[in-house]
Amino acid sequence: MVFVLFALSVLIFYLTRGLLPPTTALAPYINPRLTDAGKLSIARAVGVATSSCPSFTDFAALQNGCVTPLWTQYLYWLKNVLVGNWGYTLLPGISGTESTWSVFFGRFPYTAELDIVAAALTFLIAVPLGIISATHNNKAPDHLSRIVSLGGYSIPQFWFGAMLLLVFVLYVRIGGLGLLPASGALGTTCALCFSNPGTITTYTGAPLLDALLSRNIPYFWDSVVAIILPAMTLAITSLGLLTRIVRSNMMEVLRQDYITMARSKGLKERTVIYSHALRNAILPAITVTGLLVTYLIGGSVIVEIVFSWPGVGSAALVAADVLDINFLELFVLVAGVIIVVTNLAVDILYAVLDPRIRY
Amino acid sequence: MSQSHTQEGGDDVLSIQELKLKFHTYAGEVSALDGIRLSIKKGELFGLVGESGCGKSVTALAIAGLLPPNAEITSGDVFLDGKNVLKLKPEEMRLARLKDIAMIFQDPMTYLNPVLTIGSQMAEITRAQPELFVSTLVNHRLRQIDRPVDGTVPDPGLLAERESLAHALKSQGLGRKELNQLTKSYAISLLKSVRLPEPEKVYEMYPFELSGGMRQRVMIAMAMMRRPKLLLADEITTALDVTVQAQILHLLKDLRSEINSSVLLITHDLAIVAEVCDRVAVMYAGNIVEIAEVDELFRNPLHPYTKGLLASVPRADLARTPDSIEGSVPDLISPPSGCRFHPRCPKAFETCPSRKPSMIEVGPNHYVSCFLYGG
Amino acid sequence: MSHETEQLEKNRAKSRRQHSDLRFALHLLRQNPIVMAGLVISVTTIVLALLSNLLVNGAYWHQQNLNLRLCWNNPAFGWPVTNLFNCGGSVYPLGTDAYGRSLLQMIILAVPIDLQIALEVVASAVVIGVVFGSLAAYMGGLIDEIILRITDIFLAVPWILLAIVLIVVLGRSLTTLTLAIVITWWPWYVRLMRSQVIGEKEKLYVERLKMMGAGWPRILFRHVIPNSIYPILVQSTLDIGSVILTVSALTFIGLTPNPLLPELGNLSNQGIEYFFTAPWLIIFPGLTILVISLGFNLLGDGVRDIFDPRLRR
Repeated sequence: MVFVLFALSVLIFYLTRGLLPPTTALAPYINPRLTDAGKLSIARAVGVATSSCPSFTDFAALQNGCVTPLWTQYLYWLKNVLVGNWGYTLLPGISGTESTWSVFFGRFPYTAELDIVAAALTFLIAVPLGIISATHNNKAPDHLSRIVSLGGYSIPQFWFGAMLLLVFVLYVRIGGLGLLPASGALGTTCALCFSNPGTITTYTGAPLLDALLSRNIPYFWDSVVAIILPAMTLAITSLGLLTRIVRSNMMEVLRQDYITMARSKGLKERTVIYSHALRNAILPAITVTGLLVTYLIGGSVIVEIVFSWPGVGSAALVAADVLDINFLELFVLVAGVIIVVTNLAVDILYAVLDPRIRY
Repeated sequence: MSQSHTQEGGDDVLSIQELKLKFHTYAGEVSALDGIRLSIKKGELFGLVGESGCGKSVTALAIAGLLPPNAEITSGDVFLDGKNVLKLKPEEMRLARLKDIAMIFQDPMTYLNPVLTIGSQMAEITRAQPELFVSTLVNHRLRQIDRPVDGTVPDPGLLAERESLAHALKSQGLGRKELNQLTKSYAISLLKSVRLPEPEKVYEMYPFELSGGMRQRVMIAMAMMRRPKLLLADEITTALDVTVQAQILHLLKDLRSEINSSVLLITHDLAIVAEVCDRVAVMYAGNIVEIAEVDELFRNPLHPYTKGLLASVPRADLARTPDSIEGSVPDLISPPSGCRFHPRCPKAFETCPSRKPSMIEVGPNHYVSCFLYGG
Repeated sequence: MSHETEQLEKNRAKSRRQHSDLRFALHLLRQNPIVMAGLVISVTTIVLALLSNLLVNGAYWHQQNLNLRLCWNNPAFGWPVTNLFNCGGSVYPLGTDAYGRSLLQMIILAVPIDLQIALEVVASAVVIGVVFGSLAAYMGGLIDEIILRITDIFLAVPWILLAIVLIVVLGRSLTTLTLAIVITWWPWYVRLMRSQVIGEKEKLYVERLKMMGAGWPRILFRHVIPNSIYPILVQSTLDIGSVILTVSALTFIGLTPNPLLPELGNLSNQGIEYFFTAPWLIIFPGLTILVISLGFNLLGDGVRDIFDPRLRR
């Protein structure tokens, strides 16, 4: 597991520092008001310029002997990563003295909250859909649920988000305001919103959680109202995979001999399906959680743009535009850590739930 | 299909009349049962013998209402204790499976849910319809309490329990906690009666922790729990070692007399039939070709197929190697015309392919379906 | 070693498999209206792509008509937009885009471009996947471990981040776009091919070929790969829909080589910018993407079900 993260860091490092001029890579670490000498010393400290390099202009011109070899740069970079030094942010609209780290983790709870809500919705819809599909195989409910899950899988996320906006913000209007808010994480100008939700204290950075902890119900409500559309967009487009797996697992399980046995004992069909079939079918389905997390994180980039959601996804795009490499690297590594940890957690959970593996 | 819902048949627990069944597959229609007739008396251990694919298991599934969706019963009736089982609504059929019919299958590894404990798989039986089990559970517990322990004074706690149990018996209802406790103690005593060592431990174990023979005993215990009128045992010893086989069979015999169930023992092994059955039917390609009492069948086999089967059993007391029956089992999508055995029959003649022979009584309780004996 | 014997083995295995598969496949196909719908849509898309240059002038997208931008004059339906700008003159069935070009014509021009990118991506991914996947599976041991670990690394990143970084670093062009998607797609193909070959190499005829003295390159390239490649080909044809989704997602967020390019995601990118004044600009290109990918996915899902041995009766 650690190896994967390590290798990932090498990959990302090479893709960015290896293929871009060292001055670009250096940019986040340099306070723009520094003198040339100051910049050179930072360049040395960060490990991209050699100690024998005469001046910063020489370095910027990539004179021979000025730029350290790539692997040295990597070691310095790794050291910085591990101590949490990610330089200063290059994102516009924020003063250049904010660190990349704090900007990233200031926005990260919004993305996390969105993804968690979307994941919960996905499970809540996909599992029953898969069960119904399997128990009514090849009949109307099966066809319907297959169309829904396949449809979700085929829908462009940005388009679906736009459609939801069209319907719930432009078409359905009450008193001159759209039903749900058009953008942002806190809805204040919509028909269902409280226009004055007050303030909350920041415990975790995630508005839903903080609102609950601050016991500010109007704020909580406004946050819920704002998260519905983006979360649904993510959920509908992710449920295809989960539904299909639940469906095919259920179908396979229902063919098993112990299901015939359970029926032969005179158990109610509902008991057969839930206590026997589902227990066995759901187990392999949780292994797909890692995939789901990957998909959700990637999807947030698009959905956050459509709904102007203040998370790291929308910031990533801006970072790409201004070549804030550090921001992107941090994003990739954090995503990598989350995915690896999720897969590990799923493996542990699987062992806990399946007695055959425990022994 | 006949319209009768009940039927006179004296003390027949099971009576199958002219049952015809086919499967719809992508390769064509498989004519699995071609009009079979069979009856089992109360308390009888009845063997159903035949090669693989002849329709023995299908018969059992048809009786229990567990046929797969692509099966179609085209004609015939199945009467269980006078009730026409094929005419029952799904809920009634389920209750019949709960209380009247119990089925034990061949490979206990695949027939037990691997992620649930033995105990939970037994306990769910009473939970499925608690009302049906109140008397059994309460009476069992009462017997346990009343069993005299030498020299001790009855525990006041037990007396109180006795009171509440008697009350439950009268009202025919049990609280959830009571139900679970009583079920557990009943299940454990059943596990003991099928001679499993340390039944309390087995109750908490998972199927993969037990050996094949032990799992089969568990299956029998699960069947015993319902005290069924008819026990369908489908090749229950095929997946077991010979020594274990014998134990299981004797267990079956003992239990049969204990709860007075009838047993339909399905097997391809004639030795088993000889060992434990009272009567036996021989099946070939979806037809029953001969029915007789066991001794009579072995002494005086009439149908050429039966003779062939008996001759093909290796025997230590005869010096020759066993004979095999020529040819192979027919394709049931396009079965042979008339008597389905005629292509392989050493005694076949012109009438055989023309029409199906009917079942004739050739001796006391000895029936055969072959033109050699009339029909 | 006899060439004829080899051929005989190969043909026998092939015809056995084909015969039973085909019969069963046709049976299921008849039963399944969803798959038929998918087939119809996919074929229509391909036909449209091939005919697009006949319907619309290929150079149309270069021109700009800035006084006709973002207008709508199709009387068939309206939009809940406060200041709907009317085009006057000839009717634009789907309105105009941010550069004043007819949206309908732009969409027709975009379909072949998207389809072409998708085909390139899929073809490249298949080649890489087949080569590395079969090597990993057949060689086993260290090579297998290395290749597997590499796929693990790539699969630990959300694809879009990797693609963004790549395009940022390598610049914006159709080539880098294709490259970025191939880099995120290939791990799946490697894994798929690997699992196929792992199953295939255990089969009896491989054992026989080894005993006849065939060397591993011959066994691998002339026998094992052709026999295992079938599901990959099926998968890749059906991934076309998903790739179009991917491409349009990337151009939607702005990583397009040329803002004028007729490409479904690119058009949608304009659409989100002007969403509250011209919603058709995101609705119709997105709808086109939906229909195309739905067609291929329906087809794919159905075909996958047909050939899934676990679900057979």
